[in-house]
Amino acid sequence: MSATRAAEDVRQKDFDPVTRVAGALSFQTSVDIERGQVLDASALATLFRGYEVILEGRDPRDAIFVSSRADGVSGGAHPTASALALEMAFGIQPPPMGIVVRNLMSALECLYDHPTSLFTRIGPDFSEPVVRETNPELWERALRTAAPGRGTHGFELIADVMTALTRFSGRLYTEALYRGRRAREAYVVVGGKYPHPQTLAPGGVSATIDIADMNVILGRVNEFFDYAQKVVAVWDDIVDFFLEADPRFREVGAGPMNFIDLGQWDDPYAYDGTFQTASAWAARRWSTPGAIVGGRLRTTDVQQVNMGVEEFVDHSFYENWTSQGARLRTDPSGNPLSAHHPSNKETIPQPGQTDPARKYSWCTAPRWDRQPMETGAHARLWMTALGNKLPHRSFMEPTGHSLRLTMPRASLPETVLEWRAPRHWGALERNRAHAYAFAQAALVAYESMLIGLDLMRRGGPDAGVFTHYKIPKDLRHGTGFWGAARGYLSHHLTIEDQVIQSYQILGPSTFTMSPRDGSGHPGPCEAAVVATPLLSTANRERCVDVLRAIRSFNPSMACATH
Amino acid sequence: MAWKSARRGQEEAPWAQGAASGPRGAFTDGIVHVFWLSGMSCDGCSVSALGASWPSVEGLVAGNIPFLPKVVLHHPMLADDIGRDFVEPFARAAEGRLGAPYVMVVEGSIPDDQTLERSGQFAALGVGADWPRSLPSSRGPDQPLRTSDWIWALAPGAAASIAIGTCATWGGIPAAAGNITGSMGLMDYLGRDYRSSKGVPIINVPGCAPVGDNFTETLSHVLQYLEGIGPLPEFDELGRPAWQFEQTVHRHCPKAGYYEEGVFAEEPGDSQCLVEIGCWGPVVQCNIVERGAINHMGGCMVAGGACIGCTMPGFPDKYSPFYKSPPGSAISGGVSKVYGSGIRRLRRMSMKTGNSEPLWDNAHEVPTGWGLAREPKQEPLDKANVFFYKKLQYNGSVHHGKRNKKQPLPGSRDILRQKGVDLEASVPVLGENLRPREEI
Repeated sequence: MSATRAAEDVRQKDFDPVTRVAGALSFQTSVDIERGQVLDASALATLFRGYEVILEGRDPRDAIFVSSRADGVSGGAHPTASALALEMAFGIQPPPMGIVVRNLMSALECLYDHPTSLFTRIGPDFSEPVVRETNPELWERALRTAAPGRGTHGFELIADVMTALTRFSGRLYTEALYRGRRAREAYVVVGGKYPHPQTLAPGGVSATIDIADMNVILGRVNEFFDYAQKVVAVWDDIVDFFLEADPRFREVGAGPMNFIDLGQWDDPYAYDGTFQTASAWAARRWSTPGAIVGGRLRTTDVQQVNMGVEEFVDHSFYENWTSQGARLRTDPSGNPLSAHHPSNKETIPQPGQTDPARKYSWCTAPRWDRQPMETGAHARLWMTALGNKLPHRSFMEPTGHSLRLTMPRASLPETVLEWRAPRHWGALERNRAHAYAFAQAALVAYESMLIGLDLMRRGGPDAGVFTHYKIPKDLRHGTGFWGAARGYLSHHLTIEDQVIQSYQILGPSTFTMSPRDGSGHPGPCEAAVVATPLLSTANRERCVDVLRAIRSFNPSMACATH
Repeated sequence: MAWKSARRGQEEAPWAQGAASGPRGAFTDGIVHVFWLSGMSCDGCSVSALGASWPSVEGLVAGNIPFLPKVVLHHPMLADDIGRDFVEPFARAAEGRLGAPYVMVVEGSIPDDQTLERSGQFAALGVGADWPRSLPSSRGPDQPLRTSDWIWALAPGAAASIAIGTCATWGGIPAAAGNITGSMGLMDYLGRDYRSSKGVPIINVPGCAPVGDNFTETLSHVLQYLEGIGPLPEFDELGRPAWQFEQTVHRHCPKAGYYEEGVFAEEPGDSQCLVEIGCWGPVVQCNIVERGAINHMGGCMVAGGACIGCTMPGFPDKYSPFYKSPPGSAISGGVSKVYGSGIRRLRRMSMKTGNSEPLWDNAHEVPTGWGLAREPKQEPLDKANVFFYKKLQYNGSVHHGKRNKKQPLPGSRDILRQKGVDLEASVPVLGENLRPREEI
């Protein structure tokens, strides 16, 4: 705090709770409303349920359906990560069709999740009532600005787009609810229900999917080509409008471009469920795993990503577990593992007073190479674009600095959408990338359909969905490398005597909503909030830019704290 | 218990008497607040509720559904207000200063965090400074307010308290063996004597996650009751909407027919009855296969997923290990295999004669290019079988096929052939390459 700042300018502003995010999140900040600066921010995760402890001592077959309930917002990602971890521990791999069905389910989940987040949680911050209240001059400008994407989304003016983003009554808001239901209709045909699908199993799926089911899903996936183009056009227009109106908006939610992801959507002929070959099969995923620090690609090797992860609890309501040293000194490939690595972690809760100087969150502080990292739908684009390793290029073409998505013709003509890695990274670019990631998911769903239908028509063992397994008696470890709609997700499990000895979950929002670590470095969202200028010209007390920054991370707090 | 169910106990149930006065019983003035509290939840119930269509959440909020009051929804995932602005109506309601009736909805189980005394919480909403002043508090002004505090504060004044999902109804996974939070369902927290301000015990809509329409439908019936339009619908002894949960899920299961014929899936992905791979459907009260998970689509067993009892008290511990057949299935499944194999044979026998046009029977030929073997001449045993089957089928009615016994074989093909039309194009016989269909 600068010495010249008058004490009365600075005030405590608590966002307790932060609404329109999934789950229980609070922010305690000190802001200088007059100068439009956030001086300090602490992210409080206020929920703890103890899933990891409940899973200990159970039959390994319980893991999928119990861990699923850790998070109902990424309601199909956890059971999939759990199935992958069990497969590694059991030493089994599903037949190709089983893998394709899992990819399809995961992509369909994104088709529900992305528009729901973009329009029911993030969108209203850019809607007519909010913009009129906080930046009336921007609303005036929007009334005079033609929307460049009107040929795609049908709104003449930027102001029309803003009206459509209005909570509950806006057309884009209600359409997102409708489209989300359509995607979920497709999902439950294979998943049984959502959230918490009932058809995931170690060794594949128990879905009895046939041509009629595929047809029902295909009909719904086809609707998403036009809609994804529309969503991209809407967010391109909104983001460009704000950045052109005032370039300082790029500082809202600004971040250092640190990204981490494990990749998602397995190659049905590459995935074999073993750790030693994970670098090879994970590189063939439809989204490339990797880590980017400061905007530069550091690795696309999933084992390197995994070994660099550590969790700290200096400011979290847990006891440090590392006094006994590391249980596992190396991973199965011989890479060294820190005692803070999730597969060495123990969950020892220590509920207590909330004090931002000491302990204040149920969220741990995960770091990669000791750096705070962002993850999310946008991280999939970053990694796939910069990694340029994608083996499946029927619809997607990375270039090393961008990702081209070829949307098939529906009512709108075939279009190539190109997401380019931006030079400045903040809330607006996060939202834009989120929209492009939605288009990416539609293409993965479509390609999975085509591969699935082909396998189904050809028949034979590859069209099977399940591999028989026996639960081993000896000591086994398994890691599920996967992703939720909002990014990085890993499950780490140890079984012995056919019983779960330890189970650890590391979710995307644990990374993004993390509190400070032992060295005092804030979590990614905490840092982004502090970087945010308050640009409202009216009713600045509302701190809408802080909310834009937080919501652009699209947190799901049940995922962050289990 | 004062009454066993609304229908059986209608005489003495106070809410039923209130409703008897019809529309004059209305006390909502067209607006009802709904306070959504999240305890030990995964937000999956909110996701479910947002997926509902009949009615939808946005329809309830818009207030455009005839006969239903407009819902003012206080839900953290959907709200515009943040922080104190969001929490303030909760405090007003707790102090009885809301000026409108409200319904309390609880998602997620309730942690036993009152035992933590001054230090800490497992689930929270707002901070101590936002707590209603007229109520006792154990939290400092900057400390997160426990959800368990909000529940006891809001419950007495609520016109109805609805627990959504298996966590809030019975306890669910946060209350499972090995938990360290002492979590429990809403009934355990508020006790058996709890009644809402309108005299209604806790309403429970279970499921993990529940069918969204089960919840919004129940809520809309409660709102109709508050509007004075009708009596409360029937709830069972555990407060479940009886019309949704009185049947076992097996009774409407599309795979129940396999059970009847004694054919069972041997591993996940098989299309038969799932009991032997761990389905508890025959003893679980749920309507998901009939109603579908969303918009009448899906449902666990419809998609091939075995029922793990997620709507039931005792879930998960009384229904695990998952993917292991329930002990009871060894007896009932065994009996069904014996009985079913007999039934199955008889049915296949009927299908043998049924799966054929009378014309084909007369011609002893099936005109298919798909490789069905030509019907051999009927054996005497088959003939006897058909004879007695027909006797029974037309007993007390008329066998019209018998009256038309002299019906001629069609001759158009012969005439066309005489005209020189080539009807027997020399194509290879497809049937020789086809395997006979496996027995169904």
